[in-house]
Amino acid sequence: MSLVKKPSFKASWYLIGIFKGMGITFSNMIRNLVKKAGNDKISLAMKTYNYPEEKYEYGPRFKGNHVLTVKKDGSIRCTACMLCATNCPAQCIKITAAESDDNTVEKYPISYEIDILRCVFCGYCEEACPVDAIRMGPEWQTAALNGSDFSYDIKHLAYRAQLKGGIVSRVDEEERHKAGI
Amino acid sequence: MEVKILSEHYHKDDFQGLTGYKANGGYEMLKKAFTMKPQEIIDLVKAAGLRGRGGAGFPTGVKWGFLPDNGEPRYLLCNADEGEPGTFKDREMMERAPHQLVEGMIISAFAIGSKKSYIYIRGEYDDSINSCRQAIKEAYDAGLLGKNIMGSGFDHDMDVYCGAGAYICGEETGMISSLEGKKGQPKLKPPFPAVQGYLGKPTIVNNVETLASVIYILRDGVDAYRKYGTEKSPGTKLFSVSGNVVKPGNYEVPLGYPLKDLIFDLCGGLKPGRKLKAVIPGGSSAPILTAEEAMVATLDYENLAQHGSMLGSGAVMVIDDSNCMVDLLGVTLHFYHHESCGQCTPCREGTGWLDKIVHSILDGKGRLQDIDLMDEVAGHMMGRTICALSDAAAMPTLSFLKKFRDEFEFYVREGRSKVKGQAHAQM
Amino acid sequence: MLKCKINGQDVEVAEGSSIIEAFKATGQDIAHYCWHPGLSVAGVCRLCMVEIEGNPRLQIACNTQVQEGMVINNNSDKIKDAVKWGLDFHLINHPLDCPICAQAGECQLQIQYMKFGQYDPEMAERKVKKRKVVDLGPKIVLDTERCILCSRCVRFTDEVSKTNELGIFNRGDHSEIGTVDDRPLDNPYSVNTVDICPVGALTSREFRFQQRVWYLKNETTVCNGCSTGCSTKVYFNEEGMWRVKPDHNDDVNGYWMCDEGRGTPRFVNKDSRLLSAWNGQKDEGQDLEAGAAAKAVGQTLKKVVAEQGSDKVAFVVTGQYTDQENRAFLSLAKDLGVKVYHWVNNPEKMDEFDGLLIRGDKNPNTYGLKEAMKEVGVGSPWSELESSVSDLEYVVVAGPENHFAYSDLTDKVDLFSKANHQVWFVAGDHDVLRAASNKVSLIPTKTYVEKDGTYKNFEGREQRIRRVMTLVPGALSLTEASKLMSGQELLVDGNVSESYRKTNFFSSNERGYL
Repeated sequence: MSLVKKPSFKASWYLIGIFKGMGITFSNMIRNLVKKAGNDKISLAMKTYNYPEEKYEYGPRFKGNHVLTVKKDGSIRCTACMLCATNCPAQCIKITAAESDDNTVEKYPISYEIDILRCVFCGYCEEACPVDAIRMGPEWQTAALNGSDFSYDIKHLAYRAQLKGGIVSRVDEEERHKAGI
Repeated sequence: MEVKILSEHYHKDDFQGLTGYKANGGYEMLKKAFTMKPQEIIDLVKAAGLRGRGGAGFPTGVKWGFLPDNGEPRYLLCNADEGEPGTFKDREMMERAPHQLVEGMIISAFAIGSKKSYIYIRGEYDDSINSCRQAIKEAYDAGLLGKNIMGSGFDHDMDVYCGAGAYICGEETGMISSLEGKKGQPKLKPPFPAVQGYLGKPTIVNNVETLASVIYILRDGVDAYRKYGTEKSPGTKLFSVSGNVVKPGNYEVPLGYPLKDLIFDLCGGLKPGRKLKAVIPGGSSAPILTAEEAMVATLDYENLAQHGSMLGSGAVMVIDDSNCMVDLLGVTLHFYHHESCGQCTPCREGTGWLDKIVHSILDGKGRLQDIDLMDEVAGHMMGRTICALSDAAAMPTLSFLKKFRDEFEFYVREGRSKVKGQAHAQM
Repeated sequence: MLKCKINGQDVEVAEGSSIIEAFKATGQDIAHYCWHPGLSVAGVCRLCMVEIEGNPRLQIACNTQVQEGMVINNNSDKIKDAVKWGLDFHLINHPLDCPICAQAGECQLQIQYMKFGQYDPEMAERKVKKRKVVDLGPKIVLDTERCILCSRCVRFTDEVSKTNELGIFNRGDHSEIGTVDDRPLDNPYSVNTVDICPVGALTSREFRFQQRVWYLKNETTVCNGCSTGCSTKVYFNEEGMWRVKPDHNDDVNGYWMCDEGRGTPRFVNKDSRLLSAWNGQKDEGQDLEAGAAAKAVGQTLKKVVAEQGSDKVAFVVTGQYTDQENRAFLSLAKDLGVKVYHWVNNPEKMDEFDGLLIRGDKNPNTYGLKEAMKEVGVGSPWSELESSVSDLEYVVVAGPENHFAYSDLTDKVDLFSKANHQVWFVAGDHDVLRAASNKVSLIPTKTYVEKDGTYKNFEGREQRIRRVMTLVPGALSLTEASKLMSGQELLVDGNVSESYRKTNFFSSNERGYL
């Protein structure tokens, strides 16, 4: 419960605040009208984008939508250890593990779902993962037409069209076995 | 100067058979033993100070005294599973003088009141197995085994049991497990075999040479026996000398005999142009002695302990300057890795680890910290397991690293042996 | 009693106790893998090292007996170093595949590494590769790489189940647990080997990969699989019950339980349960609220008894309910004046016993039921019901919750179908009941993990069961149903365990220990 404080006498004079705010808005508008935006030098003009034709490029460390990596043969890298789900502060990851027919794999996720509306993009899942199976990708446009589209399944997380067949994980079980680890 | 007591008649071809053995005074002492009380024999062995010849050097008479007086059947087991690399003294005795062993065993069995004994021989010793079996058969035929031996009213049965050659079955409780038909793994002590051994009954396990020595203590008496050897290590002992000497073989010398004399007098010294580098005085599990130490050491339990080594089974391995110590440790550790029974974790994992490290050094992939790591691993294997196999692997490792560290460091830095022309270990 | 000192603390232990038992008595930490209180001493893990004053060598606590006046400690630097290296030796060839290991979270390697280890590994050589995912039988999967060869499982099959299937094969660091000729490990107690396995070498095929153990809570209760009444721990989360493990109880089951008793999630979990009451005939009918249905049945029974006489109604009871439920149900029968019949599911096997734990009487409370029947003064021979069933208007059955033990369920439904109506208090949802030819009322009951009460086992030992979770919110206990049937209301009487309400296991709790 937040603390309720009686508004001070000064705060009731809201018109001052309104004028202050409008002042900033209009001064910026006028500045943008007078000065042209330029790419080569620091411009006083504010930069705007003609979204969606123009899109902002975030840095490589940006934590956007999740990607599940794949092995060299294209199968899912995740071993369903559930460390990401355990570590997730928003509890948005739901994994169901199953026994694999392949003895070298042993365990794999039969379903892996992320409720992206609950996700807080903290990146703890990425940090918890022992086998580089989940990464936070560069995508940030998460609009969809209905609620069920916000629940990402394996098909979306690992094999959506943007990933072009999947991103290969850095950790390779075969190589580890060969190295005798 | 050799003193031949046990090996006095080895050179005689007919000594193997019963007639030849009897012609040389065999089974006379058995007759004498039956005129004595069992406790008198035990006291005699105690007074003579006979120490176990298998490796640990535990006083035999004291061991016999541990048997509980609870009326349970007792067993006498002869440990002829001569597994210690470099040892071959028991084999020669079993092949050349099996009746000496059989007589010694009957006397010992009479002393401890056992009605059944086994000779546990490793499977590779075909000739020993055959000769012991033959000797037992002859003894049965001559009424020296079975019911009412020599009219004394003492019954005794003896049998030969063949192991499959596992090193660990030479450890007394491992041998008992194997004899019971189980996997040859040492048992937890306590309870000790003298209290709960073969089939849970009181059991005495003695080495071939120890049991044979009993005959001569009876024959010559305590004073004559104590004439040889030192105060604490009396008697004579068979030494199996191998390695880079001109005349390797079994030599019987009194305990306390200088190691230098054994190598340079009896065994004819080293090959021309070679220099003594090191000596392992008691089988591969004994810590190694450098040439300087070997020059002053004498062959008895106390003196070798002072030099940080042990008499063990009496397998003297002479190493000259044509050998690479890294290579030698590699061979030794491969052996212990292969022979660890896998029961206790420090030994199971530690022997494998040491073996892998020394071989990565031999393959030229060693790191300088590996030498310290080996030292640490071996140090933590010492005294942490049920039996002494872990120590047996750790002791040579520690002594090799301590005394020949420069060779290991050279190998790691240069990727080749300090000894010229030395090839990698062939396994 | 012997006096000794452990880490400065004075302890008194019984004569013949080992040092490790003295440690357990004081509650102090001591690292160990191979020692298990229910098995013989193997002394192979070499972790339980202690220092005894006057003895220069470190000794293992499991094979050293306490002697009068011994001064023992395991907190010196020497011991810490020895234990650290002991752990290192265990771990150098361990595959560290914790992410796919079903034991992770309750693995002794993890727990003891965090407690006694926390060093940087120095092993740089190749690990020994062994067989993985070995099919060891219908219930167990073996991973020989994870195995630390503590030999607990081997000793279990030698000493407890006396079936001798398992052995250690090969030598040195190639040693492996296995069975001769890969014969299956299949005995009625085989899953105990999974419980005692300190690592993930033996895993239960049923529980493997179903849940991570840190998502599960456990509570102690009593098994309702047979009349032995083993103390058990049930592991559950908000979705249901996932597995059952034995709890130590020297008086009943020691450290063990049978494999069959681990199957209780089969009839406890929601997917096999009757979720609401149902009235109908031949697969057609309608769902009702359980309490309302029980009330209606009670009113009808009273009416039938009043109008047509008490011999038109019969009550059938089973040994599956708690003492409290039995008393309430039987008292109701007594008040109505109707006859009560005891349904014995397998009369020919009732007195069987395998010598260890498993009994032929597959009801947890037959003893208590018989006692209650005698006390209340009801009970008639079963043959009487068989001959008179077609004259009956109503048969009211307190049916079994463990229907796997009731192979005669279909026969009995056929028998009761000869009456005009049958009313079943039952936990499970059975097609055969819904398909019965006469009019059927089904009222859902609680299973043994959803109610409080007591069972009396084969020897009359009274043991308490506890409400652990609620899986079917509408289900009634037989006590509640009897109350409703007799026309009373279920009032919250203020004695509802407040502590239970306050702790919601599945809301906020410490991280990682949901």
